[in-house]
Amino acid sequence: MMKPALIACALSLAAPAFAQEEIHVDQGALVDAAVAQHILPRFDHLAATTATLSEAADANCSPTSETLRAAYHAAFDAWMGVSHLRFGPTETNDRAFALAFWPDTKGFTPKALSALIADEDPVIESEAEFQTVSVAGRGFFGLEFLLYDTQLSTLGDVSYHCALVRRVASDIALQSEMILTDWSEGYAARLTDPSEAGPYTTDAEALQVIYKALGAGLQFDSEVRLGRPLGSFDKPRPTRAEARRSGRSLRNVATSTAALGELAALLSTQSPLIAEEYAQAFALIATQAEELQDDPVFVGVAEVQGRFRVEILQQYIDRAREITTLELGPALGVSAGFNALDGD
Amino acid sequence: MATNMVSRRRMLAGLAASSLLPSASWASVGTPAFLSAARAPDGRFLLAGLTDAGEISFTIPLPARGHAAAAHPARAEAVAFARRPGTFALALDCRDGTVLARLEAPEGRHFYGHGAFSPDGARLFTTENDYEAGLGVIGIWDVAAGYQRLGEVSSGGVGPHEMRLMPDGQSLVVANGGIETHPDMGRAKLNLPTMAPNLSYLDLSGTILETVSLPPALHKNSIRHLAHHADGTVALAMQWQGAEEAAPPLLGLHRRGGDITLLQAPERLHRALDGYAGSVAISGDGRAVAITSPRGGVVHVFDLASGQFLQAQPEDDVCGIGASAKGFFFATGTGAVGTLGEAARQHHLQFDNHLVPIGT
Repeated sequence: MMKPALIACALSLAAPAFAQEEIHVDQGALVDAAVAQHILPRFDHLAATTATLSEAADANCSPTSETLRAAYHAAFDAWMGVSHLRFGPTETNDRAFALAFWPDTKGFTPKALSALIADEDPVIESEAEFQTVSVAGRGFFGLEFLLYDTQLSTLGDVSYHCALVRRVASDIALQSEMILTDWSEGYAARLTDPSEAGPYTTDAEALQVIYKALGAGLQFDSEVRLGRPLGSFDKPRPTRAEARRSGRSLRNVATSTAALGELAALLSTQSPLIAEEYAQAFALIATQAEELQDDPVFVGVAEVQGRFRVEILQQYIDRAREITTLELGPALGVSAGFNALDGD
Repeated sequence: MATNMVSRRRMLAGLAASSLLPSASWASVGTPAFLSAARAPDGRFLLAGLTDAGEISFTIPLPARGHAAAAHPARAEAVAFARRPGTFALALDCRDGTVLARLEAPEGRHFYGHGAFSPDGARLFTTENDYEAGLGVIGIWDVAAGYQRLGEVSSGGVGPHEMRLMPDGQSLVVANGGIETHPDMGRAKLNLPTMAPNLSYLDLSGTILETVSLPPALHKNSIRHLAHHADGTVALAMQWQGAEEAAPPLLGLHRRGGDITLLQAPERLHRALDGYAGSVAISGDGRAVAITSPRGGVVHVFDLASGQFLQAQPEDDVCGIGASAKGFFFATGTGAVGTLGEAARQHHLQFDNHLVPIGT
């Protein structure tokens, strides 16, 4: 009923901008800009906000502490601003997964936390030891359960619970600090000054990994952050929305797409037509996210009208994905072949 | 009403498969050595037969982009799978593309894109996802009854991808890639930090005979594609899901009862694979094993007995590979087909990921 209209609208937006002709971009300059203006400042911000989070937990570990909850949200926002940058320092020792274990299809996070609390496991006494704990029981999603879940926020001995909150928070700060250190003390230079030693031997390879992060980030927002609660029309899954306990499901998508919009703009600075298309696409995403403010955890996906609004947001994100694959990739000279692109 | 239509179609398909058509051998379609899904220049999708000389012996239309297929051991009949997460597969008469049966994945399952016939062609086995449980299953289908589903068994892991009938004709080897996906979320990988791929052997009734895994440090090395040799050696190709810098081996060899041996090219060449092997084959003479890298545009060849790296053969967008009498037969996304190391034939088709051998 309303769907054909929307599809027609999406199609008209998809009208090609004739950006396919050979554009000779300065790949090195794009890498330099992405590193200096997007990657480094954002990981710096993550390290700063997570340090504040850890301090807030030390000051007051009560799950209802307003200061602690505000610090949690600020740090989580910072993580959403880098959660697409999944290569290099974030992947060392599973740091990114230790910061954000989601989706948790088998309920490992509450299991891991309940086990720690039930055993009053002394593993939380040392920062180093805690790094051996399953990534499922750590990070922003572990902390979310401890602060917001009706059962886990009050489970077990109060002083153990408090110590666990502090340890999870300090571990979040530690992982973020290590990621920042690796980025600023070496990894950034590997991207900006590719060499035979690798992992990037050319500017094209360095640009490709950043380009892939943009596409993968958009894909995750569309398919997982929105796709998981949307489920299917017959089986919507509102309780599978990301970070719904702390009311952040929509906020995560909005924050992540804003960061992706920044990266898309940086990568398209030398391709004005594509930059213009991105600007339109991300403006629509932001407007639709604003439109959804009254449904912060996507409970609306279970009804026709509410579902439709979330699907529109998903389609706007998919439009940005389309620009990335069909236009930005060829323009940057980083596209993959028929099989290379397929990945199976 | 829909159910009635389906069952009526199934019944007709069953009749067609069992009695109406005289059975035709693969010779009736030019004795192809391999099947490959492909895309035509006009954008249509096809299933093609390729002879060992690199000629196209037949093409039949597919409704969407294919992935792999299963070739009936005797009849010119193939089951073509859509790219995952497809919920249907088509049994096709390769002479004219007639749809002999449409296999619908049961509620809560989707196909992964690979399957294998029993040696007598009476059963078809398909790798599938029980996506609510996040577990792999093998679907079992009765071919003579028009591809009626008989049931399913555990694949022995999560995310089963390629599956082959072992040379003993009595067991299947399954690459459980370890990656959990759900069709509501496209192809997003849902369990990377906890994934645990394995290689499982099943007898034809579904009993798991043996399961072998990679060392824990390599738990993010998704075992996806398989080849085997008459002596029971299985070659496995992997796709690395961990940190790019780690760049672990992407090729393994296994024999029942043993451990997996890992092979890789010298560091600099190995890195060109970008953590991704597309397909794997063992040469007809059993002396060499090869993996393809569509991302690196290269085939890496190793000595099977010693595991020693032999050569890197550049081929743009290469993915499909199989055994030829002399060595390896390959097909690419740019339309090149041929024996590795010899002049290739150029076709106006883009060949998809896999070459499915006929009659082995």
